Amino acid sequence: MSEPFLNIRGIRKTFGSFTAVRDVTMDIAQGEFMTFLGPSGSGKSTTLYILAGFQDPSGGDIFLDGRSLLATPSHRRNIGMVFQRYTLFPHLTVGENVAFPLRIRRRPQAEIAERVRAALKLVRLEGFEDRKPANMSGGQQQRVALARALVYNPPVLLMDEPLSALDKKLREEIQFEIRRIHQETGVTILYVTHDQEEALRLSDRIAVFSQGEIDQIGTGPELYAAPATRFVAEFIGDSNFIETSIVSTDGRQARLVLPGGAMIDGVPLHGAASPGGRAALLLRPERIDLQRGEGEGALAGEVYDVTFLGNNVHVLVGMNDVAPVSVRIPFGHAALAGLTPGERVSLRFNAADTHAFLEPPAA
Amino acid sequence: MALWATAGATGNGKRDGSLGYLVPALLLVVIFFIIPVLMLLLRSVLEPEPGLQNYATLLGSTTYLRIFLNTFIVAAVVTILSVSIGYPVAWLLAIMPEKWSRLVLAIIILSMWTNLLARTYAWMVLLQRTGVINKTLMGLGLIDAPLPLVNNLVGVTIGMTYIMLPFVILPLMGVIRAIDPGILRAAALCGAGRLQCFLRVLLPLSLPGVAAGALMVFVMSLGYFVTPALLGGTSNMMLAELVAQFVQSLVNWGMGGAAALVLLVVTLALYAVQLRYFNPNAAR
Repeated sequence: MSEPFLNIRGIRKTFGSFTAVRDVTMDIAQGEFMTFLGPSGSGKSTTLYILAGFQDPSGGDIFLDGRSLLATPSHRRNIGMVFQRYTLFPHLTVGENVAFPLRIRRRPQAEIAERVRAALKLVRLEGFEDRKPANMSGGQQQRVALARALVYNPPVLLMDEPLSALDKKLREEIQFEIRRIHQETGVTILYVTHDQEEALRLSDRIAVFSQGEIDQIGTGPELYAAPATRFVAEFIGDSNFIETSIVSTDGRQARLVLPGGAMIDGVPLHGAASPGGRAALLLRPERIDLQRGEGEGALAGEVYDVTFLGNNVHVLVGMNDVAPVSVRIPFGHAALAGLTPGERVSLRFNAADTHAFLEPPAA
Repeated sequence: MALWATAGATGNGKRDGSLGYLVPALLLVVIFFIIPVLMLLLRSVLEPEPGLQNYATLLGSTTYLRIFLNTFIVAAVVTILSVSIGYPVAWLLAIMPEKWSRLVLAIIILSMWTNLLARTYAWMVLLQRTGVINKTLMGLGLIDAPLPLVNNLVGVTIGMTYIMLPFVILPLMGVIRAIDPGILRAAALCGAGRLQCFLRVLLPLSLPGVAAGALMVFVMSLGYFVTPALLGGTSNMMLAELVAQFVQSLVNWGMGGAAALVLLVVTLALYAVQLRYFNPNAAR
């Protein structure tokens, strides 16, 4: 990665007594694809809008190439943006829409024509110059919006859930296009979404937002393998949480007691905990080894339900005093052929595959 | 036959058998609109004797041409003033917080519901030589003698602009409100400052509203009677006053009909222009 290119420093945004964004800080490298992932109301869109200049932060600063952006109004920031809703100018044709930023910048006619053609080629809409936006599909409109946002070669492209209005198949198609365009142009992209699959598919790094704060920033595999908070663990990938109590801890790892009384040692622990405290143990459904019968597994239970999902099989295991645990096993796993509800099973797992998150003391 | 074809072309797709339901409405239009207009047309070419002499008199006399000219100038000025004052008001109403825009809208609509004569007499009081406006201007030392604001076309223009304003503001407000603020944000990020946003995006998108409001005001102004009769002078008549004079004072239905029909033809021509160039359905 090159020099820090876009630096967000302690951005805060309050509306009256409500804090929408608190202390968001991150460095984004030139050419990076960074996704803000989080549920609605987590502050990810507000952060993007502050970058766009539609809202002023209550505190903090943003630097692009070492210079603060905050004093610059939206129309002078030279940033590209694609919005959630269709925002093409309905009175202009596709070609005029894409030419709009260049006309505003008073570029020569020949250059405008050339760059509009190149931008439409980039989004694979050559020959659509004379169409009106109203005569195009949602996916096509968003591609025109992308061409309009890129035609003036902005250093940064903001995308605010641009695919949320499209159906699943089209969404995946355009995700692929966005990846290709990112690779072809090398533009730095900040992308907002609430869809973890979309985030994982597109991004170099993901910033997980929760309640106005960033819980963790990392690549998809990092977030999945080493979630910093229970929220991140829940948001990236599927997860089971089992309530345990802490026997001992050295600060980084812990020895825990599972609900059945079994002990498990060497679990990575997040948060400062002391023995006797409670911790939620994360078990990934695909990292659990399911054995028939009462074995020497850490947990034992009864099969509640078996669901065939194509390439894998989903087994729901019920246990005393614990919420059912879901386990995913590859289809055709010989030892588990013909598994039926009611059968006794045991669950085993590696401590290194799990994570323990501190639970707040019971009220 | 032309009527059926038009109904079919502009109808919203439900054609099967629904034309039957239009018969009462069509009868109403024919009995109360088309037949009277045809009778007027007939009288204008038959009275006092068959021929086009009524039209010849009307279009051949400088007095009458002067009245036509007055009418068009006043209607045009009123339209321009209404649009220039109404556009910013409509824009403000569209972007104001809801509770304020409701209040302002209520005031505008309430004034529309107030009796037309009462409002016009009120302007007469305000504009007269010893009225509030002249007294204030003289009190401030801006003028030495009262300005002639009433009993002339200035008074007519002021009074009519006031009456026509809601007809511009209401449709325009609807059009401006329907513009997605996201589009203006997109324009800003594309590099457009406030002026560029207005000229290149907001104004073109609100043009159908401007055209609709302007046409309504212009056409209404062309045939307006009460305000010109009360605030205007005897020397500068407008067309509606002329028609009233022919019919009421001179009992000359032929000339009255001819004047009314000239007005109607002009109005229809303007409507056709609006349909051709500013119809939002045809434009997209």
